[in-house]
Amino acid sequence: MRPIAGIAAVAGVGVRQYRRGASPLPERGVLVRAIIDACEDAGFDPAQIDGFSSYGDDHNEPVRLMSDLGTRELTWSSQVFGGGGGGIAGAIGQAVGAIATGQATAVIVFRALAQDNSGRLSAAVMAHHLNGHMMAAGLVAPAQVCAIRAQRMFEHHGVPGSAVEAFVEAAYYHGARNPDAVAYNKEFDIEAYRSARWISEPFRLLDCSRENDGAGALLIVSAEVARDLRKPPVHILGVAQGAAAGWGDLLENDADDQYATAGFRSVARQLWRQTGLSPDEIDVAQIYENFSAQGVASLIDHGFCDYESAGEFCRVENLIAPGGKLPVNTAGGNLAQGFIHGIGMPIEAVRQLRGESANPVPGARTCLLAGGPGAPIVSSAIFGTEETL
Amino acid sequence: MGEAGEIWSTGADGPYWDGLARGQLMLPVCGGCGRWHWPAVWRCGDCGSWDHGWQQVVPAGRIYSWTRNWHPFGGLESLKVPFLIGIIELEAAGGARLMGLVEEAGTPVKIGAPVAGTFGSTMYAGRAVPAIHWRTS
Ligand SMILES: [Zn+2]
Repeated sequence: MRPIAGIAAVAGVGVRQYRRGASPLPERGVLVRAIIDACEDAGFDPAQIDGFSSYGDDHNEPVRLMSDLGTRELTWSSQVFGGGGGGIAGAIGQAVGAIATGQATAVIVFRALAQDNSGRLSAAVMAHHLNGHMMAAGLVAPAQVCAIRAQRMFEHHGVPGSAVEAFVEAAYYHGARNPDAVAYNKEFDIEAYRSARWISEPFRLLDCSRENDGAGALLIVSAEVARDLRKPPVHILGVAQGAAAGWGDLLENDADDQYATAGFRSVARQLWRQTGLSPDEIDVAQIYENFSAQGVASLIDHGFCDYESAGEFCRVENLIAPGGKLPVNTAGGNLAQGFIHGIGMPIEAVRQLRGESANPVPGARTCLLAGGPGAPIVSSAIFGTEETL
Repeated sequence: MGEAGEIWSTGADGPYWDGLARGQLMLPVCGGCGRWHWPAVWRCGDCGSWDHGWQQVVPAGRIYSWTRNWHPFGGLESLKVPFLIGIIELEAAGGARLMGLVEEAGTPVKIGAPVAGTFGSTMYAGRAVPAIHWRTS
C-alpha cells in the first residue's frame, strides 16, 4: 500500500471571519473570497481548481462556484457524512485520495457558514441527529449531549476540572495574542470563566464555542506541484476518518469503554500506524473543541495522556507556545480565535508549520489536527514540513 | 406497527413507541444469540439473525451519566429550567441505556443512583412526545 505522506500538500490557505450575523456578503460570496485568498496565498490560478471537498452538511455545491472561479472543468467533488465537524480532516483525506488517483489535480477543502443563509450551526447539527428519544428526554442540543459525556469523564473517570480549565486558558492565551482572533487583546479572566452562567452542567458559557460567520479554504495539490508554488508545502503525512464498533449514533449506548471519549481511539490508531509517529513526536496540535471537555477527551483519545494523567498533562504551561510540551490551538481555537465550523483549525496547522502563526512554535515540524470530537464519524490528520518526508 | 411507532420510529424501534403508548417499556432481544440490541436493529450484526423478540422490561435502573440543564433551548419551552437529564442503564435489559428527564425525588442525582420510571410525555415544539420520566428513589 502506498504511504499517504508525500502524495499531497496544502499549498494555500484563505479565511474570512466575521461576527455571527455580520457577514458582508451572502455565504457563497464569502466562500469565493476565501478560495481566491487561498489561491493568492499559493500563487495559483483559481481557474485550474478541478476538485472540491467539504463536511458538516455544507450547503454550497461546488458546481455553483465554477463561474466565479473561472473553473474550466470540475472533475471531482465530495463531502464527508455527518452534520458536525467530525469530518473536517476526513475532507482533507478525500482530497488526498482524489489527487493520488488522478481524479483531481487541485482540490479546495472548504467550509462556509453565514447565519442568514444556513441558520444557527447548533440547530443544523442537531437537525441531523434529533429523534423522538432525544425530544422525550429534553436532550436536543449539542451542548447537552457533550455535557452528559463530559460529566461521566469527570465523575466516573476522575479527570480533574483543572485539565479542562487549562485547555480553555491556553486557547484564550493564544487568542489574546492573535490579531485575527475574537479574543485578541483580551486577557483570560479565570474567575469570569468559573462564574459564567451555566449552560448544561458541567458546561458554563465559556466552555462552549460560539459560531462566527465566514468561510475558509485550503488548496491541496500534489506534493510535486506544491514545491513549485509560492509558499513552502505543508504535507499531509497521515489522515483517517471513521468510528470503531461501539461508537456512533447509538442513542447514548456507546460501548462503556468509549462512552466518555471523543470517539477518536480507532482513528488515532490508524494515524499512528500510517505515519509511524507517536504522540511524543507531535510538536503542536490543533484540537477542535466544540466544547471544552471534548478537547481534553481528544487529547486522551490520541494518546497524549490518559484519564489518570490528564490533570498532570493539561497544565497551562504545557499547552502554550512557544515552549509548552504540546502547544494546542495556537491561534486561539474555536473558543478564542473564532468558529467557522472548525475550518480555522487546519488553516492554523498550515500557518504554524510555515512559521506564520501569531504564536509560533519554533522549529515545529509536525502538527496534529483532531476534527470535531464526539461526532458519530470523527477524523484526524497529521501535517508535516518538507523535512518530515 | 401501531400509530405511535409510525410517528416516532427512528428505524427498527416501532414496538418501543407502541409499548410506551400502552404504558409498557418494550425492548428487543435477539432471537439468535440473546443479545439485547439498543438502539433496535433489523439484523443482529453478531449472529446474523433477523428474528427479534420484544420483551417487557420494568422501568428501573441506575444513572449512567447526567446533566442539569440551565439554558432555554428551543422547543423545550414547557420545561422549567433547571431540569435534569439522565442516561439510565437498565440491568434487566443487558445494560441497555435510555435517555430521559429525571426528577431528584430521593437521593441526589449522581452516577450510580437508582431511579424508577413512570410513563408520560414531554412537550417538544408543541408536540407531546411519549416518554418515561425517571425519579431517584
Ligand atoms: Zn444475535
